Amino acid sequence: MERQPVSRILVANRGEIAVRVIRACRELGIPSVAVYSDADAHAPHVFLADGAIRIGPASPGESYLSIPAILEAARKTGADAIHPGYGFLSENAEFASACEQAGITFIGPPAPVIERLGSKIAARALAQQAGVPVVPGETPTDQSSDAIAATARRVGFPLLLKPSAGGGGIGMKTIRDERGLAAGIEHARREAIAAFGDGTLYVERLIERPRHVEIQILADSHDTVLHLFERECSIQRRHQKIVEETPSPVLTPVLRSRMGEAAVALARAAGYRNAGTVEFLLEGAGDRASFYFLEVNTRLQVEHPVTERVTGVDLVHAQIAIARGEPLQWRQDSLIQRGHAIEVRVYAEDPANNDLPQAGPLLLYREPSMPGIRIDSGTYEGGEVSVHYDPLIAKLIADGETRDIARRRAIEALRSYPILGIRTNISFLIEVLEHPRFVSGDFDTRFLEAEAKTLRASAPVPPEALEVAAALRAPTTDATGKDPWEALRGFRG
Amino acid sequence: MVDTLGNGRFRVDGRLAYAARGRRSTWVFIDGRTYVIEPESRDASDRLHATDDQMALSAPMPATVVAINVTPGQEVASGDLLVTLEAMKMELPINAPRAGRVKALACREGELVQPGVPLVEIDP
Repeated sequence: MERQPVSRILVANRGEIAVRVIRACRELGIPSVAVYSDADAHAPHVFLADGAIRIGPASPGESYLSIPAILEAARKTGADAIHPGYGFLSENAEFASACEQAGITFIGPPAPVIERLGSKIAARALAQQAGVPVVPGETPTDQSSDAIAATARRVGFPLLLKPSAGGGGIGMKTIRDERGLAAGIEHARREAIAAFGDGTLYVERLIERPRHVEIQILADSHDTVLHLFERECSIQRRHQKIVEETPSPVLTPVLRSRMGEAAVALARAAGYRNAGTVEFLLEGAGDRASFYFLEVNTRLQVEHPVTERVTGVDLVHAQIAIARGEPLQWRQDSLIQRGHAIEVRVYAEDPANNDLPQAGPLLLYREPSMPGIRIDSGTYEGGEVSVHYDPLIAKLIADGETRDIARRRAIEALRSYPILGIRTNISFLIEVLEHPRFVSGDFDTRFLEAEAKTLRASAPVPPEALEVAAALRAPTTDATGKDPWEALRGFRG
Repeated sequence: MVDTLGNGRFRVDGRLAYAARGRRSTWVFIDGRTYVIEPESRDASDRLHATDDQMALSAPMPATVVAINVTPGQEVASGDLLVTLEAMKMELPINAPRAGRVKALACREGELVQPGVPLVEIDP
């Protein structure tokens, strides 16, 4: 394959991932272009890039999800390559194809590969063809509610209804029995349409108590396909990952090779190129544990930094090199996992109130800086978490020679990570990292649900917090002449 | 004993703390925990006196109405899905807090609704 021009990269994303990709461009000496909606005019990614261009109003459909707006921005700024980040248009085959037609290098897999792997049906058929085991399930050709219900009965309960066009767990619905079926189908279809503009549903048997383990792959245009080992992502809530780590506490070297080889076989069968992730459900432990192919994420993952910390490979640099047509600079046997890395996702949400996402100002925001800690964020003190986008504030990645050191470092960093003005899940993350079952590595994807009672304890406001609040306040009185702060009343923390 | 260190930092009982003042509340961070301290006020006590019904029938945050699953006059059982909201890429169901009859709807599909305002009225 001939070399592709990548001399100015437009980053078609926002938040922490836009910042992370722009930093990589700067490191490589490639000029970068940020795009922003009206809600993000003062966001860090805008100032970090060499150029920035407005693409529309706050609503994602009119900005970050608008193919014409992004392509127009690339044309205006002279960008000859686009990095899509994750989410938004990153797994949109139409977008990848539109880039190609506009003469722009899409930093990701070719459009037909995205399309094939983005379809649960085609991806699964491909996995079976490549000899990779799959979970029982099907997409009804007739998408009427009655036909989906009939398929559900054939696949068997408990089951999952998933958007066929989806990814990242958005819009998935668990159905335990016949009673929840009819309402569940309507609910899942609506979420699928809202999230992906396509209501096609896939019905799949639910494997109880599985672990979610995924394999990072890199494929160049010179027939080299490598895997960069696993990421353990079992700590999830409603199929959204919260804590990820590598190595997995349960993978043996034999099982790791089996899963890595399966992922590579699938990537080869798909004609894959660039960075991608093959997700598996893992049942059991030990060399002979069973794993089932879930899906391929044809993009950079949110949790990619843990892989970077233990392999030393910069995945965004690798993506850019691959897009340029360069050969990968590693062989499979030259890649190793050194030490351990754990990522926690810091969300603007209220763990004491059903994890309700929070929008609001960051009155005080100070990132910790300490040994073994990396923070990927796209926000700043004085900024705000907007109601228009997802509530991820930052990713905190801790590494160390052992899992326990990485875990302790993550806890220590979270304890030193003040974010005020908006509720966050920081205390919840600490509780997860300190939980005996997390410490021992004994968990599955149901961990957060099963341990909800032991994790949700909210602490009463201690006297020292009231003292600090009192020290902060200036002596003011309200219109009644009565100091409203006279009677401080503590809410849960 | 609290030492004010400046720039939002404090020292209390030998530990570093951070505090910031919001429009209504004071926010304090100590050792990985955030505390929201609100002054006693009419507004706050009003909110406390809002009935459980009103709370349960309101959006918990600014959100868009994606579906209305009931019509006025309809009988509903406790837990029935009344309205589906969407905010920050998440679906937020509003379920009936008790059995009753839908008296009126106070929202339309596609409408952006604010927290604290009941979306459905239920009799009795």
